[in-house]
Amino acid sequence: MSEAVDRETYSAARVRALESLLIEKGLITGETVDKVLEFFEKDMGPFNGAKIVAKAWVDPEFKQRLLDDTPSAIAEMSFPRGMAGAEGEHMKAVANEPGVHNLIVCTMCSCYPWPVLGLPPYWFKDPTFRARAIREPRKVLQEFGLDIPESTEVRVWDTSAQIRWFVVPERPEGTEGWSEDQLAAVISPEAMQGAAKVVIPT
Amino acid sequence: MQIKFEQFATTSMLGSEDAPPRSNGELLFARDWEGRAFGMAIALSKKGHYEWEDFRQGLIASIAEWEASHCKDDPDWDYYQRWLLALERLTLETQLIDPEELERRTFELLAQAQTSSPNA
Repeated sequence: MSEAVDRETYSAARVRALESLLIEKGLITGETVDKVLEFFEKDMGPFNGAKIVAKAWVDPEFKQRLLDDTPSAIAEMSFPRGMAGAEGEHMKAVANEPGVHNLIVCTMCSCYPWPVLGLPPYWFKDPTFRARAIREPRKVLQEFGLDIPESTEVRVWDTSAQIRWFVVPERPEGTEGWSEDQLAAVISPEAMQGAAKVVIPT
Repeated sequence: MQIKFEQFATTSMLGSEDAPPRSNGELLFARDWEGRAFGMAIALSKKGHYEWEDFRQGLIASIAEWEASHCKDDPDWDYYQRWLLALERLTLETQLIDPEELERRTFELLAQAQTSSPNA
């Protein structure tokens, strides 16, 4: 056990040594690393997608605009620089509804809509997962703990360089009167991939 | 199309062995120093001190070295230890940092940590 602690202490000191030397040499500043981390914490990630979905849930007209013209609808929201343009310009939202469940897959992770979904989970790029999701989506979803009844159509969308899909999941019952912030907090990236439903923590 | 360097750098690693740990769509840093090491590697490349691909290749090599001497399911596996090794090597190789001053600084910080630790 003490060996592990030693390695920890050593690594922490090594990283501090590196950063302090780089700062002293003027190669980076004291804020450089914080800024890089901030980009991942604030600018791009599943929290953006969750805000979009929450707004769509409380505002049916926004939802319609989101489905008709995803980039313009996203541009209405006050997101950090360039969210709707740049990487996000080919984004397309599809909505789950009674009788229809959507699932997105991708062959290239560089095409993943991560301004809204964040970084994809490991299984997402797995070739077996992708092939099976297209061939037997119902079974794959079942393995994720999601039972889609036979009467519900499952639509699978393959994300590409042209179009990056994301799913507007169904709003769960029991969330009537919730604020957009409250709603956004329960929307997971998996739900926006169509690999999970939105559940309210009990 | 404009892509932020941070986004390019991270995306280039996704789907391969050198992809960073993540949870729920976000990067997962188990310890503070992991985030610092991650940020430094990206920042130095963004500022043009080395090519991102050179860092990636260094990371892939440091992962391969570990795998050559361990079983894949060895609990000793630690992604950010490999990351740190790759970063350290590249900063020395590109002469951003001098090996002796790095040793000296590490030693000083370790000594500080020991005197300030109640268990030491």
